[in-house]
Formats: sequence, C-alpha cells, structure tokens
Amino acid sequence: MVLTDLVRTAEEDQGRGSGLPRRALLRAALAAAAAVPLASCDLSDDEPEPEPSPDPLAPLITGALDLAARHRAAAAAFPELAARLTSVAQAHEAHATELARSIGAAVPSEAVGSASPSDPPPGPQESDMKAALAALRAAEQEGRDAAAAACLVAPKEHAALVGSIAAARATHLEVLK
Amino acid sequence: MSEALAAALAAEYAAIFAYGPIGVRLKGGAVEQARAAEAAHRTRRDRLVVLLGAGGGKVPAAEPAYALPFAVTDSASAMRLAIEVEERTAAVWRAALPATTGNQRAQALDGLTDCAVRATRWRRLAGMTPPTVAFPGGPA
Repeated sequence: MVLTDLVRTAEEDQGRGSGLPRRALLRAALAAAAAVPLASCDLSDDEPEPEPSPDPLAPLITGALDLAARHRAAAAAFPELAARLTSVAQAHEAHATELARSIGAAVPSEAVGSASPSDPPPGPQESDMKAALAALRAAEQEGRDAAAAACLVAPKEHAALVGSIAAARATHLEVLK
Repeated sequence: MSEALAAALAAEYAAIFAYGPIGVRLKGGAVEQARAAEAAHRTRRDRLVVLLGAGGGKVPAAEPAYALPFAVTDSASAMRLAIEVEERTAAVWRAALPATTGNQRAQALDGLTDCAVRATRWRRLAGMTPPTVAFPGGPA
C-alpha cells in the first residue's frame, strides 16, 4: 500500500539527514489525514469538492512531524539516548495524527513545504551528544511556545487538544535535561 | 466558564491536602520536590480564589478532608499518589480550556502545563519509563 511504502522509505532514509524523508512522512501523514473524513462522509458524492482552506492548526502538524523527525534522527545518532528520544518522537507523531484527525481534510498542501526551512543545520555539532540535546531542547521550547500561543486563540473544540500538546512539549524539556 | 474554574479550585484544594500525607512519607530530594509542588498548588489556589471572587460569586471553600484513592504507607506509595494527584489536577485544568478564553484560558494552560511537568518529575523520580505521556490531562 502506498502510505506504508512512503513511511517505510522515510524510515530507511532517516539516517542520511536529507530533507526527503521528512517530506515523505509529511505527505503520508497528510494523505492519511485527508483520507479519514472522505471515507466517513456519505454526502460527498453529489457535492463538488470544497476549496480546502488553510487551518490555523496546520503549522502545528508540520511542527510536530518536524520535532518527531529531529528526535528520531538524534536517537539514531546516539543509541544511548534512543529509549528516551524515541518515546518523545512517538508523542510528537501521536500529536500530528490527532491534530490532523481533528481538522480533517482541511490541511493545506503548502504545509508540506513549510517544514523544510526549519530543518536542523547538518554539521559537526550533531556529533556531540550534549549539543544535540541542547538543539532538541531549543526546538521543543519553540514548539511549546507555538502550541501555547495556538491554544490561546484556538476555537473551543480544539483548545483541549492543543493545550495538551503544549503541556506535553513542556514535559519533553524535562526528559531532555 | 466559572464552573470549570470552580472545578479547578476544588482540584487544587484536594492536591494541597494530598501533599500533606505525601510529604511525610518521602525522603531526601523528594521532600523538597513535594514542598515545591505543594507551594505551586497553593499559588494556583490563591489566584483562582481572586479570579472567582472578582466575578462577584461565592468562592467555594476547601473541604476539611479529602479521601485519598489509596493508603500512603511508604515512599513508593507517596510518589504514586503524587503522580495521580498531578494527573487528576491536569485533567481538570485541561477541561477548563474549552470553557475559557483570553487570560483565563492562559491560566488554565499554565495550570495544565505545571501539573504535567510535575507528574513527569515524579515519574522520573519513581523510575517510571517513559516518564511522559503523549496527551497530559486526558485522552487525545
């Protein structure tokens, strides 16, 4: 199946540090997100496809997948951190899935490209475990601030989920100490 | 709105109560952690009392005692209760998010975040792995 292939390819490529695996993951995740409401919607047959409007939570999805990829990359680079970082990566992936589910098909395609500029700069600092942890902490802090800001302006149906994600990112800072 | 905040106040009262029996069963650095946690819950309580009082309504008072979910007999059960207290209080703050806006939602988010961070610290101290949960305060 296409989605499975995309995800597996992305995981295999993870260690190379190219931008490709993340984009593949994003496409797979966003495609999966789009599939949920379509499959469950009985009325869509006669109606034209509505213009997808960008959801203010879409950047949080790309942010969550970006954080997941960073943790997975660091876990691969530093096996002694793998247990700690993998559970954090899984949390970020769960956040992306849940956010996508909550906003349904309205995920803009631009969200896929927007993750690229925030790619971690590849370089010698990644070989140093302390520096890698510090970089993860900085990324988590940024993600926490973004989720907290989004929570404060979120419609009430999304406030609890986004608040929970902001809180989870704060707890990740504890784990990365 | 104020119902959700009144529930948060009730949870903070209960948390403050629970840290009494928790504190006496802990040793070393855990005692300090419990003390800091209790102080943080008192600060939240005080802010809620001010907030709810400003609305002109009657501010609910604390109960004289709260039933603990299990007996605290040693350091391990004390830490287990601390984790449970923080998780339950986090859930109440999380439930206040959809019911609030603006500054009150910011307070609810701070409450949720602080409880989640303290729960993580307790889980680490208790040796639980992983020490985090994906969705603090509740189900996804």
